[in-house]
Amino acid sequence: MTAFLFHPEYRSYYFGPEHPFSPVRQEMLLDLLEALGCTPEIQRPQPASEEELIKIHDAAFVEAVAAAHPDDPATHRRDLGLGTADVPVFKDMHEAARLLVGGTLTAAQLVASGKHDRALQMGGGLHHGQRALASGFCVYNDLSVAIHHLRDEGLRVAYLDIDVHHGDGVQAIHYEDPGVLTISLHETGRYLYPGTGRVHELGEGAAKGYSLNVPLEPFTEDASYLDVFERVVPYALEHFHPDVLVVQCGADAHFSDPLADLLLTTKAYEQLFRRILELADKHAAGRAVYTLGGGYAPDATVRIWTILALLLMDASLPGKLPSSWVEAWSEKLGTDLTPTLHDAPRTFDIPRSKTIFSQNEQVSKRLLELVATAWYQAW
Amino acid sequence: MLVQDAMQTPVYTALVDQSLEATYRFMQTEKVRHLPVLQDGQLVGVITDRDLRYATSRLHERPFEPGDRVGNVMSTPPITIGPLEPVEEAARLMRQHAIGCLPVLDAGNLAGIVTGTDLLDALMRMTGITKPGGRLAVRLPDTPGRLAALTGRVAQEEINIRSVLSYNEDDDHLYVLLHIDTINTHELADALRTESFDVVWPPQRPRPAA
Repeated sequence: MTAFLFHPEYRSYYFGPEHPFSPVRQEMLLDLLEALGCTPEIQRPQPASEEELIKIHDAAFVEAVAAAHPDDPATHRRDLGLGTADVPVFKDMHEAARLLVGGTLTAAQLVASGKHDRALQMGGGLHHGQRALASGFCVYNDLSVAIHHLRDEGLRVAYLDIDVHHGDGVQAIHYEDPGVLTISLHETGRYLYPGTGRVHELGEGAAKGYSLNVPLEPFTEDASYLDVFERVVPYALEHFHPDVLVVQCGADAHFSDPLADLLLTTKAYEQLFRRILELADKHAAGRAVYTLGGGYAPDATVRIWTILALLLMDASLPGKLPSSWVEAWSEKLGTDLTPTLHDAPRTFDIPRSKTIFSQNEQVSKRLLELVATAWYQAW
Repeated sequence: MLVQDAMQTPVYTALVDQSLEATYRFMQTEKVRHLPVLQDGQLVGVITDRDLRYATSRLHERPFEPGDRVGNVMSTPPITIGPLEPVEEAARLMRQHAIGCLPVLDAGNLAGIVTGTDLLDALMRMTGITKPGGRLAVRLPDTPGRLAALTGRVAQEEINIRSVLSYNEDDDHLYVLLHIDTINTHELADALRTESFDVVWPPQRPRPAA
């Protein structure tokens, strides 16, 4: 049984109407699940305590977040990433951010205690958050706080990040822990934020070989993405023997996403989620914590997360979406939403398509060579 | 960036009368490849791990013995640089003389050392990649005011620029790379394109085939 974590106050993690990281996505998601007759049984988390936060974040950083106020420029600690273009300070930022952490932490607790084998945190996934730096829309790193809890329970954690941006915060925080395997598939950081996530970032010390990065070419399409996923992820999980997975399900690798350049369709996401569920069953006795993440085209993002939620409920996937929902939200957003769960079938006219496929293939092979070398050296 | 901002200090050194063997072992333990050589506290030369390996190699015409003096093998006089020179000048000197390090002399005293590795660190700092950020590449006509117009436009969006790198692509164009503190480079790129900036990266989204 899947636990579903959500709190109406998640919406207070809000950077303002012009900002792409919008809580409207969750509102649309819950509304759509209800319209589909698949309302999940929601558990409301408590906010994470400061004690829990400082297991990952510097106490001084947490203090600075708690002190930050939109009207007081002196509290905008740009050196800590607060009050920047991506992370503008908003009122009660600390409260909002620690509630999201609480959701992911509760999800991890429910899975670690065996109450649930899997959990979906309908928020969070703030993978850019660093020990003492807010970055890329992320204040606190809910994923790392949750992973830390799972580690304290003695569990080996495999973290899988399919957000289009490199999961740099989570990687850095667990870079020296051989009990945490991080795997991030993302658009190459040659130009895209945050600029890291190269194949040779492999982990440090005893954890060398336990940070895996697959940087993908801009305009990567479904077939290539799924190809590299199959090359890397099952193999790494097989080697690592995790007790539990933590999966950041960012939806911004979709072709309509305004922030990045990969070209996945919803079909790829469905396959991807089905594979991840299978892999969790095979390698971690089904135990997994799923979070949301990036995704800045609400139309696509909500459909992708609906696929995830329905699969986690073992519900069947509808073809068409309820017209009441489509109409209501099309009107609210002032744009025509896709009336079906999946994208209309489409192909892209990318002249470099074959080169991109082969480049991604090469990169994943290169990664596996490097990783295998690190694993063998450790033996 | 100046040499004094990129150099390493304090510096490991060798003495002119020290044995080759002791010097080589010291380099191994401290994981360095270059040592300034001192005599009476004054810089008199530079010795590298390559000098030592060649001097003691059987392939050398008259191989030196492990107990021989550093003074007989070192390069002298040393090529040096001052702490207030720009780092690019250090790079040019090293390329020109095909050497891997420059002792830094401040009023005749050894103040530090710059190696090729330090210049790579300087490059990383200058490009701003030690912090998360996105990159914006723009091809500008090489005329006064174009770079200012570009950075002014970025400032209007209240986006912080971490670093600016530029080079002449040809006689008429300056290729400018901005490392900017935002995940949302596309919005900015689109705005710049409508204002006829030639944005090279991020790319324009491909249109779906019909």
